[in-house]
Amino acid sequence: MTALPSEVRRRGLPRRRTGGAARPAGPAGRARHGRLPVRIVAVLAGLLFLLPFYYVVVTSLNSASVSASVSDILLPHWQWANYSRAWAAAPWPRLFLNTLLIASATVLLALATSLLAGFAFGVMRFRGRGLLFGLVMSVLMIPGTVLIIPDYIIANDINWLDTYWIQIVPWGASVFGIFLVRQFFMGLPQEIFDAAELDGAGRLRMLWSIGIPLVRPAIVIISLNVFLASWNSFLWPFIMTSSPDVQPVEVGLAAFAGANGVDFPALSAAVVFTTAPILLFFLFLQRHFITGAMSTAGGVRG
Amino acid sequence: MTSSRLPHAGYRRIAGSALAAVTVLAAVAGCSSSGSKSTDAGSSGGTTTISFMQIMINGSQKSTLVKLTNDFETANPNIKVNLEYQPDYGTLHAKETAAIAAHNAPTIGQVYEPWAAQFANSQVILPVSQYAGSDKPDQFNTFYAGVQKDLALPDGKNWMWPFNKSVQVIYSNSDLLKAKGLTAPTTWEQFATAAKAVSGNGVTGIAIDPGTTASPASGTLMFQALAASNGTPDFAPDGTPQLNSPAAVQALSYLVDLKKAGALQVGTNYPGEAALGAQKGLFDLSSAAGYYYENQAVGGKFAMGTAVLPTGSTGQPTNIMSGTNLVEFAGASKAQQAAGWKYMQFLASASSQAEWASQTGYLPVTAAALPLMSDFIAKNPYLPTAVGALAYAVAEPPYSWVAKAEGEEVVALQAALDTGTDPATALNTAQTAALADQKAGAAQ
Amino acid sequence: MGWLYTAPALLIFSVFIIGPTAYTFYVSLFHWNALNTAKSKYIGLANYRSLFGSTAPSFLSSAWHSLYFSGAMVIGGTALSLAFALLLQRGGRLLGAARVAIFAPHATPVVATSLAWVWIFNPQFGLADTLLRAAHLGQPGWLQSTTWAMPSVIVYSLWHEVGFTVVLFLGGLAVISPELSEAARVDGANGWQEFWHVTWPQLRPVTLFVVIITSISSLQAFTQFYEMSQGGPVYATTTLSYLLYQEAFVFFDTGYGAALAIVLFAVTAAFTLLQRRTGDRISRSS
Repeated sequence: MTALPSEVRRRGLPRRRTGGAARPAGPAGRARHGRLPVRIVAVLAGLLFLLPFYYVVVTSLNSASVSASVSDILLPHWQWANYSRAWAAAPWPRLFLNTLLIASATVLLALATSLLAGFAFGVMRFRGRGLLFGLVMSVLMIPGTVLIIPDYIIANDINWLDTYWIQIVPWGASVFGIFLVRQFFMGLPQEIFDAAELDGAGRLRMLWSIGIPLVRPAIVIISLNVFLASWNSFLWPFIMTSSPDVQPVEVGLAAFAGANGVDFPALSAAVVFTTAPILLFFLFLQRHFITGAMSTAGGVRG
Repeated sequence: MTSSRLPHAGYRRIAGSALAAVTVLAAVAGCSSSGSKSTDAGSSGGTTTISFMQIMINGSQKSTLVKLTNDFETANPNIKVNLEYQPDYGTLHAKETAAIAAHNAPTIGQVYEPWAAQFANSQVILPVSQYAGSDKPDQFNTFYAGVQKDLALPDGKNWMWPFNKSVQVIYSNSDLLKAKGLTAPTTWEQFATAAKAVSGNGVTGIAIDPGTTASPASGTLMFQALAASNGTPDFAPDGTPQLNSPAAVQALSYLVDLKKAGALQVGTNYPGEAALGAQKGLFDLSSAAGYYYENQAVGGKFAMGTAVLPTGSTGQPTNIMSGTNLVEFAGASKAQQAAGWKYMQFLASASSQAEWASQTGYLPVTAAALPLMSDFIAKNPYLPTAVGALAYAVAEPPYSWVAKAEGEEVVALQAALDTGTDPATALNTAQTAALADQKAGAAQ
Repeated sequence: MGWLYTAPALLIFSVFIIGPTAYTFYVSLFHWNALNTAKSKYIGLANYRSLFGSTAPSFLSSAWHSLYFSGAMVIGGTALSLAFALLLQRGGRLLGAARVAIFAPHATPVVATSLAWVWIFNPQFGLADTLLRAAHLGQPGWLQSTTWAMPSVIVYSLWHEVGFTVVLFLGGLAVISPELSEAARVDGANGWQEFWHVTWPQLRPVTLFVVIITSISSLQAFTQFYEMSQGGPVYATTTLSYLLYQEAFVFFDTGYGAALAIVLFAVTAAFTLLQRRTGDRISRSS
């Protein structure tokens, strides 16, 4: 159940303790709030959040012509044909592979740029640091929709239309990531880096061998965030690409909402089989994500 | 102890698989970029490549377009057609605009009339005379009268060629009508009577979606059809909005009256289709091209009737032409212009239109297609009447501001049907806003 | 040296965001013709003037809808996620599962799940109305109603976003000092007093972080409006960022859309600065 960071790391971060998941059941006095009501409310809340998932699964198994009774809406009718129709509508394996490639490459690039820039902003002293950091933060506040046409023109000029690159590189720098890494490094005792400098370790080696292990929780949460952002993009791939060779899964989902009607059961089926792998992936790694996110909150106070 | 080692193993696994992914990525990227290079060239080795940007992304629309295109390529081995799919008209418009701005436009694209007006004003599409050698090439005379009129812009020249045209039709639950001793309505008055007669016990006469300011839907089309049937369409032929004409107020009052009687419901995402299919609705007003989806929703549970729009106080048949035309974008080479023109003529030919219409429910743009569709007509006797509507159906006038001004109609509908605003007040507000849109649009 | 380290990120930002933004500002001074730039006309601040003078919808009503949505997301989202975090802060299989359930929606694409929620809110066949009908309660009409459309979008957005902020609060709770809580209990404080005087003050940095990221992301939120309500009915869900999409991308009034983008940028920046300064003042005074 526990996901304790190693002892060394814990000593490196005196102000931060492990995530709540890892926390032994709180001080004895807390128990007086009563555990049963807490559990009931928690289970109800969890079910409420899962209800839409259940609903999508049921819709994906019902015929297009349902009647409007509660049982028809809440109970599946096992129309597996919806799935074969949905599966036939797009080259899913290819689209899925594309999504995976685009999202993982974006994550790697964003991690690299965030670590470098966050390290610089958090640890290094240089002229114009405050100004540059302000510039980076302001990027977060720019509404993306107006950028699409100028970006299309740029992509066309550098011959990146209809490639993986245009779906990766523009998203390969994350303000959120830079901010988090900076906060983490600012929270670390400066002496760690001073000592390393005395050792004569190069800055880059210092970042690699000392910095990265210490900001691991931030790495997890940035990966998650960038991955989800990439997985979430919709308008961008449609505008920037046109061939299924490089397009992501979301483009396939659009195939069900035609101009003259919508095939809701097939759409739901496609939502199920495109979202399920991500949810499984998340379920598999949830402990990392949650502890990562929790340590992130710890890092924020640094 | 093991638990503290686990995360490390996990990280290493993630890092490992990510690294593998990047390696594969580099390989695949290499392939695909070299692949796209070869298709970039407009014409090489005697082969001319043209691109066609459209929204026929699913169902029988996609399969039929692919089949027709293959037939065309077989008949013209030196022409290759790249089909570029977009998910909806909004994205199509955005992508065409971005592509034009980057001087990277496709050869051919689907357009609505107001887009064509904007494109022509900016000199980024070609007039028909440029690639066909004549403003009215031979095929022009084969089209229905309404279709012919729809190809010209305000300058009087033809800029578009027809592809997927349609009109509005009424789908109905014939069994339910019969059970109440009613027949398919031929006037809007009968329509209202029937809608009210069946309503109650969870059944509603008709469910409509006014649509959104960005894209009006069937409810707004119903309002437009009603206004036209009362003698004054929502826009004059020169694009001037006339949203608060007595005919328009009467049209909106008609809808409000149905709503008050419980015979009309407002929804989204093709609510009429869903209600009809679930046997909770009597009528649905939708494009003839929605036939495939209506049939799917009904699923053979009852006999579905299809009829042209009823007539209003003028007694004249009226209809709203929908669907799009094709244009050729400026920037295509001479060879691409010629190849594109061949392809456009092929798509508008009697045999292609017969196949296209039989598979999708769109209406053939030429009467010559009908003899080739006898099987389809035998099963769908409504078709000749619906096609007949192409002779008199009128599209929205081709001015750039009309799209925005239609959005004001949507708001008026929503205000009258949801918040109970008086129809005349709602339409006066819409008219004021639409006139402002016209003024701003004309200044561009 | 620092410049070198920040260079990769700055290069990407400059090419794809900062450069185009400068261009956007330039465009906002024109009657811009995106199709054929040679046909653009310089009109100075006229786009900004017509922006503030527009009536359908008025600038103030769109700004109000942005504020309505962001306010609900910031206040509702923060309160809800703090409550969930307090509820779920202890470990255990059951609470762990509930945590996963609450986080799961965040891992789904907005495009896919907002469509599912449109179906849930369908007035005739949706889950929400079917349940209300079965319980013989009134049906608000959800996305069809000028009153309920915005709350419907907010419900969806909370469902999708709260998981992430819950986890951030869990992290904040994990690092607060147990000694202080213990001392408070020794002094005889009850649960509420302990929370209000001991726990909550220590959560301020996390809260400020949550408030800032939630307000930026909700001021810029667009996909759920696009998928669920498209700004309607009767402009009830037309926020500044949806209006921006519509002007720039549906009607291609590029110059006007650009002016709107600059205004939205200014509003977001002002908001963020205001929150930071308030946050600073609170933490200094405490």
